[in-house]
Amino acid sequence: MTIAAEEEMPRAKRRSSLIRSPQFSSLVILIVLLAVFAIADANFLSPLNISNMMAFLPELGIIALGMTLLLTAGEFDLSVGAVFGLAPVVVMLLVQNGGVDIGVALLAGLLLCIAIGAINGLIVTKIGISSFLVTLSMLLVVRGAALYITQGFPLKSWDQPGFFVTLLAGSFNIGTFRFYTSLWWFIGLSLLAIYVLRYAKLGNWISAIGSNRNAAVARGVPADAVKIWLFILTSVLAGLAGMISAFRISAASPVAGTGYELEVIAMVVVGGTALTGGRGTIFGTIVGALMLRSIRNGIVLIGVPGLAYNIFVGVIILAMLILHALLQKNAARS
Amino acid sequence: MEVLRLHNLQKSFGSVRALKSASFTLNEGEVVALLGDNGAGKSTLIKAISGVFPVDRGDIYVRGQRVSIRSTRDAMDLGIETIHQDTSLAPDLSIARNLFLGREPVNLKWLGVFAPLDLAQLRDAASALLKRVGISKKLDADALVSTLSGGERQSIAISRAMQFAAKVIILDEPTNNLGVEETHGVLRFVKEVRDAGHSVLLITHNIHHVFQVADRIIVMRRGEIVAEQTVADTDLLTVESIITGADMSALLKETRAK
Ligand SMILES: Nc1ncnc2c1ncn2[C@@H]1O[C@H](COP(=O)(O)OP(=O)(O)O)[C@@H](O)[C@H]1O
Ligand SMILES: [Mg+2]
Repeated sequence: MTIAAEEEMPRAKRRSSLIRSPQFSSLVILIVLLAVFAIADANFLSPLNISNMMAFLPELGIIALGMTLLLTAGEFDLSVGAVFGLAPVVVMLLVQNGGVDIGVALLAGLLLCIAIGAINGLIVTKIGISSFLVTLSMLLVVRGAALYITQGFPLKSWDQPGFFVTLLAGSFNIGTFRFYTSLWWFIGLSLLAIYVLRYAKLGNWISAIGSNRNAAVARGVPADAVKIWLFILTSVLAGLAGMISAFRISAASPVAGTGYELEVIAMVVVGGTALTGGRGTIFGTIVGALMLRSIRNGIVLIGVPGLAYNIFVGVIILAMLILHALLQKNAARS
Repeated sequence: MEVLRLHNLQKSFGSVRALKSASFTLNEGEVVALLGDNGAGKSTLIKAISGVFPVDRGDIYVRGQRVSIRSTRDAMDLGIETIHQDTSLAPDLSIARNLFLGREPVNLKWLGVFAPLDLAQLRDAASALLKRVGISKKLDADALVSTLSGGERQSIAISRAMQFAAKVIILDEPTNNLGVEETHGVLRFVKEVRDAGHSVLLITHNIHHVFQVADRIIVMRRGEIVAEQTVADTDLLTVESIITGADMSALLKETRAK
């Protein structure tokens, strides 16, 4: 179901449309998957394993939130994985080679992400080149830059504890579970994204732009400005995720985040957001992120050979998409 | 009373002079049909009035005041609502959300674009509007536009224009791609809109529709207005000959003689 209708319906009707909605079917499949993994291997639900999954989840999940909004507006961004790699590399270089204060270096990293997003957005909206081509080129530029400025070597770790490390990658224990602050970032940003897409004026604009750009523009919606800001947001979130990851593992690698763009887009569409724009769901994206994370984690535990992981992941993604398509067809018929 | 007056509007796309010179007046409570072949410049003219792009030259007056229309928002604020060819609604949004697109009722206005929609008002206003315009089949304000028929979509788009008390409602080929019954529904709706006091500029190339609803006819050919007549003073064949530019007077005499 799209964001547009669900909160405005009588209860009974809302329930039936919720059950047929793509994010609901994704949720059911997620629960089934979790159950299968839990039964197949008792370690799946162990505190250590859950802690592990929760450490990885926010890093891709945060990017997926931005990507969901962008996809709903009818665009996407293939440069997020490269930005994920470049931002921490630039920050670390400034600190280690340039002697810059970490706070200032982080600010510089933020500005860099803003600039990358703005360039993506401006070229897509003002020159009218498809976001596929623009952000594919940007992926090469950004990844190339990360490799060049580091000469291809991972940077020495940043392991001095401090305010920013605690803020982005601090950890804490709840019972036997160990969580990172990044989980709070993910939860907070998710709530914000749900609010914006479902309840705010801006969310109405984002969906309308993705659904029928000309109609939105004819109603005075500033479509280009909205898209540019969404490209900036997505880049900034990718950079933030990169910093969180670099702080957590105390290293910044120029190849970090390789292939993340596809993993993130997979999370978003598996959750039920339409690749063609107009229909987006943050809740679905959270489910999608959980699903892909637990699949990657679970198939290791149940003993699928390492080289065969992607076969499973790909097949499950395909199955999800087929399911969404069938549900969509069904809904159109009824 | 005069609502909208255009004086010598001109617009070129590169070397294509889409609009050579257009001047006319639209009065209160009047349906004016803008006729012409494909490429005559009808869409260009109404896009200029509705702020899609600026004109190269010429003046626009609303209720006697000279105005400058630089954006679709400007036109909407002046009471000019346009329903463009095929592109007026977002199919993935509900009827209610479409009706208020770009003018959403919100709480906490100071939050700007982040302000929360006033969902109760959105739903109530949409239901009231749907009831008032009496769209034949009962429509649910929460239904997605993608589930509606072409005629229903046009009716929704026209209702949206009415709701903001638009002085001028411009319809660009509203009956394109519609079935016979749906077409009649839309035409009936146009009459109701006029009777409610709005002025309508109806763009079409279906001359039969014109004689059913319009008070006055304006014909464009190759970027120029070539004729302007009240419906009562003319007939189908005359108008047809003006549109095509063919000399049909001989044919006309023949028909009349019969
Ligand atoms: N955006 C544009 N760029 C270039 N030429 C255009 C554009 N829009 C319209 N034209 C040209 O202007 C002329 C008038 O077009 P239009 O106003 O759409 O005619 P109509 O709506 O009467 O069929 C046509 O020759 C068309 O090709
Ligand atoms: Mg046209």
